[in-house]
Amino acid sequence: MNIENTQSQMRKGILEFCILSVIRRGEAYPSDIVEEMKAANLNILEGTLYPLLTRLKNADMLTYRWVESNSGPPRKYFSLTPKGEAFYGELQATWNELTNAVHALTQKI
Amino acid sequence: MKKIININFHSRVIPIEETAYEILQQYVESLRRYFANEEGRDEIISDIENRFSELFADTLKKGAACITDADVNAIIASMGRPEEFAGEEEQPSARTGAAAGAGSTGSGNAGTGSGPQQGSAPYEEPRRLYRASNQKVLGGVCAGLANYLKLDPAIVRLIFVLICVTWGFGILLYVILWAVLPTKVVTTSARKRLYRNPDDKVIAGVASGIAAYFHIDVWIPRLIFALPLIVGIVTSIWQNIWWHTFHFGGHIIFEGFGSGLFVAYVVLWIVLPEAVTATEKLEMRGEKIDLESIKNTVKSDMEAFNRRAKEMGTEIGESFKNMGQNMSSQVRQNVQNFPAEAGAAARRTGNGIGHAIGVLFKVFFLLIAGCIAFGMIMALVALAFSGGGLLDLKGYFLSGVWENLLAWASFILVFVVPVIALLTWLIRRITGIRSQRHYLGYMFATLWVIGLISFVVLAGMLINNFRARAHSEEEFALTQPSHGSLIIQAHQNVHRDYYDDDWWFGNGWRHNGVFYSISEDSLLLNTVQIKVLRSEDSSYHLRILRGSLGSSANTALNYARQISFPVTQSDSIIQLPGGFPITRDQQFRNQQVIVVVYIPVGKKIMMDNSVKRYDWVNLHVGRGHINWDNDDRYDENYDDEGFSLENNYYWNSGVQYIMTAGGLERVGAVGKYEDRPEQPEKRERPEKKEKPEAPEKSEPSEKPGQPANGGYRYKAPAEKRKADSTVPKSSTMVSPHRPSPFVLLSSFFI
Repeated sequence: MNIENTQSQMRKGILEFCILSVIRRGEAYPSDIVEEMKAANLNILEGTLYPLLTRLKNADMLTYRWVESNSGPPRKYFSLTPKGEAFYGELQATWNELTNAVHALTQKI
Repeated sequence: MKKIININFHSRVIPIEETAYEILQQYVESLRRYFANEEGRDEIISDIENRFSELFADTLKKGAACITDADVNAIIASMGRPEEFAGEEEQPSARTGAAAGAGSTGSGNAGTGSGPQQGSAPYEEPRRLYRASNQKVLGGVCAGLANYLKLDPAIVRLIFVLICVTWGFGILLYVILWAVLPTKVVTTSARKRLYRNPDDKVIAGVASGIAAYFHIDVWIPRLIFALPLIVGIVTSIWQNIWWHTFHFGGHIIFEGFGSGLFVAYVVLWIVLPEAVTATEKLEMRGEKIDLESIKNTVKSDMEAFNRRAKEMGTEIGESFKNMGQNMSSQVRQNVQNFPAEAGAAARRTGNGIGHAIGVLFKVFFLLIAGCIAFGMIMALVALAFSGGGLLDLKGYFLSGVWENLLAWASFILVFVVPVIALLTWLIRRITGIRSQRHYLGYMFATLWVIGLISFVVLAGMLINNFRARAHSEEEFALTQPSHGSLIIQAHQNVHRDYYDDDWWFGNGWRHNGVFYSISEDSLLLNTVQIKVLRSEDSSYHLRILRGSLGSSANTALNYARQISFPVTQSDSIIQLPGGFPITRDQQFRNQQVIVVVYIPVGKKIMMDNSVKRYDWVNLHVGRGHINWDNDDRYDENYDDEGFSLENNYYWNSGVQYIMTAGGLERVGAVGKYEDRPEQPEKRERPEKKEKPEAPEKSEPSEKPGQPANGGYRYKAPAEKRKADSTVPKSSTMVSPHRPSPFVLLSSFFI
C-alpha cells in the first residue's frame, strides 16, 4: 500500500465528476478543460482526458460539435446531454454525501 | 545538424525534425497499444494527434522554424505517457473486459468462488483460467494459461510447443482447453516479456532478448548458444589432426546438447515476437514498467474488490443457482463457436505460419552457408597442415608463370577471402558494429567470383595439358634365361623418402599411392604395369612402353621419352626399377610405363612380390569428363594401351606360371601368400556397353600373333576410335580429346 497509489485512486474517482462540471458550465474544448483544471490546482495529464471524453461520449453523457477555429482545422467542443446532466446530478449528490462524511470523520478529532 | 521533413498532420503542414517525427510516431504507437482494447481507440488517438498538431501550429506561429525533439518531448510530457495514464485512470481493459459478454459468466462464477473468502481483507482476485481473446496466436489458450500462472505467454507457448513435439497429447490438450475455456480480455500479468531484440542481433536477436529479459550481458546467452558450435569446430579440427592418435571423448554429449540448443534457438526465433515499439522494448527489459505493474495489480485488486462488494449481495444467491447452467451453456457455446473461431484463428495465424516457414527457410540457408564456411575453414586448416607436401606437388602440375599465378590467385580468392569475410562478419556482428556501406560485401563477392573464374581458367589450362596421349615403345634386348624360367622383380627405390615422418600423408598416400614418394627435386611415380602375353616364337621378349599425356601429341611423346626406366637382367632375373622419377621441369602428365613380357609356350614366369609396389592410374580427359581410376585390373585400361584382351593373362605375384598353348597356367604356389583365385585365368572381359569392342575382336587380323608387332597392337582409346579410324603408323599413338568446357566444369565442381 503506497501513498502514490492511494492518491491516484482518490484523484481518479473524482476525475469524471470534475470534467463533467467543467463542461456543464458551457461548451468546452479539451485543452480548455485541462487549463481550467490546472487553474484549480488539479493537475491531470492531457492524455488521460481524451479517452475519458470519448468514453463519456460513447456512453451518451456528452455530445460534441465541430467549431471552426481561426487557425487550422475545426475543434471539437463538448457539451452535456440530458443523460449526462442526470449523471452529473447523481455524482453531485454522491460527492456531497462523501464530503460530508469525510468531513465529519476527519473533523471529529 | 538534423534533417527536417514536412508532414501533413491533421490538415496542417508541419516542418519537423526527423528524429522528433520518430519520437512522435513511437508515442502514437505506444498509445495505440495502450488503447488496443478500447472501443473508441481510433477516435481517442485522432483527438490526441489533433491536439499535437494544434500545439505544433502554436509553436510554429511563435516563430519556430520547425518542430524539434524538445517540442515533441514537452508535449508528450504534458500529455503523459501510457504508463502514466495507468495511474490516473481506470485500466481500459478492465472496463472493456467487464463489458464483454464473457464477463458476466466469468464474474458470476468468480463470485461464487470467492464467496466464502468475502470477509478476508486482502482481496485476491480469483484467478481463473480463461482464453485470452486479445493476445492469442491460435486460440489464446497459452496466453490465458500465462495470465493464470502469471508468466510470460512466450514461455508458456514454448513449453506447450515442446510438449506437443515430444508428446502428441499436447495438441489434444490444447483443443480441449480451447473448447472448454471461456474467453476474456486479459492483461498480461507479467510485464516483463521475452522478445527478440532487433537492435542488437547476430542472427535473429534471440540471445540478446534473453539477455535483456534476465538482465545479463549479451555475450553470456550468445556464448551458451555458440558453445557447442565452437566445441564442435575445435574437436573436429582436433580429430582431423590427431585422428589416429587421440579420440576426443564426450563429443557425443556435446553434439546432443548442441543440437538441442540449436533447436531451442530456432523455436525461440519462431515463437518470440520482435520488440518493435518502444513499449515492447520497455517490456523486454522490464524497465520502469516493473514499478508500474505493482501499482497496477494493487489498483485492479482494489477495483475488483469494490465491484465485487457491490455485486456480491445480488449475485451470491443467483450465481450458485446459475453456475451449473452457465458452465454448460458456456461450454456449448464455445463448442459451437469453435469451428468459426478456428477458421478465423487460422487466417490470423496465416502470417504466423508464414513467419515460421520464413524462419525455417532462413535457418536452412544459414545452415548451408555455415556448412560451406565450415568446409572452407577445414580445407584451409588441412591445407595449412599439409601445405608443404602440396606445395611440392604443385611444381609438377603447374608450368609457367601464368599457371602459377592463376593457381595462387584462385587459391587465395576462393578459400582465403571467404574465411576473411566470414571472420569480418562474425566480429562485426559480435561487436555490434554495423556498416551502412555494403561495398565490403560486394568487394568480397567480386573477389570470390574472380577467384572462381581464375580457378576455371586454370582448370581449363591444366586439362589442356592432359589432352593428348602418346606412347613410345622399345624392345629390351633380352638374353634368354638358361633355365627356361624368368623372374621379374621390382627394385627397391633408389630415392630416399623426403618425408620420413609424414604422418599427414597417411598410409594410403605414401605407400600405395601413385606418387610413390617425393624428393627434393623429383617425384617418383610407380604407375607401372606388367602384362603377360604369349610369345609367338620360342623365346622370351620384353617390351617397354612409355606413355604420357600432353597438350599435344608431340609434347606427350616428348614427356614419354623423358621417362627413365632402366631394366637390368642377370640371367633369369629381370630387375625393374621401383618407379620412375619425374623432375620438376618434366611435370606430371600421368606418365606410365607398361612392361610387356612375352613368354614362349612351355616356359615359366614368376612375378616377385616386389612388383606389388606398382600402382596404376589412368587419367582420361575426354568427352568432357575426367576419369581418375587406379584400378588396373578390371577396367578398360588394357584396351587403352592397345592390348587385345584375348591374350592378356591375369597373374598373381609370387606365383610361378607356365605358358601353355591354352594360356598361362600355374606351376605351384611358391609365394608366401595366396589371396587371389587359385587358377590363373584369362582376364574376363568386362561388360562395357559404350565400348564397341566386338568388331575388333572378331577380326582375325587384329589378333595378336604376328611377331611383327609382338602380339599387341595399339588402339586409340575407345572414345576416340569411333570418330576417326586413321591410326598413326608410327609407334606413337595420339588421341586428342576435345572436352566440352561446361561438362568439364560441372565435373570439377561436383
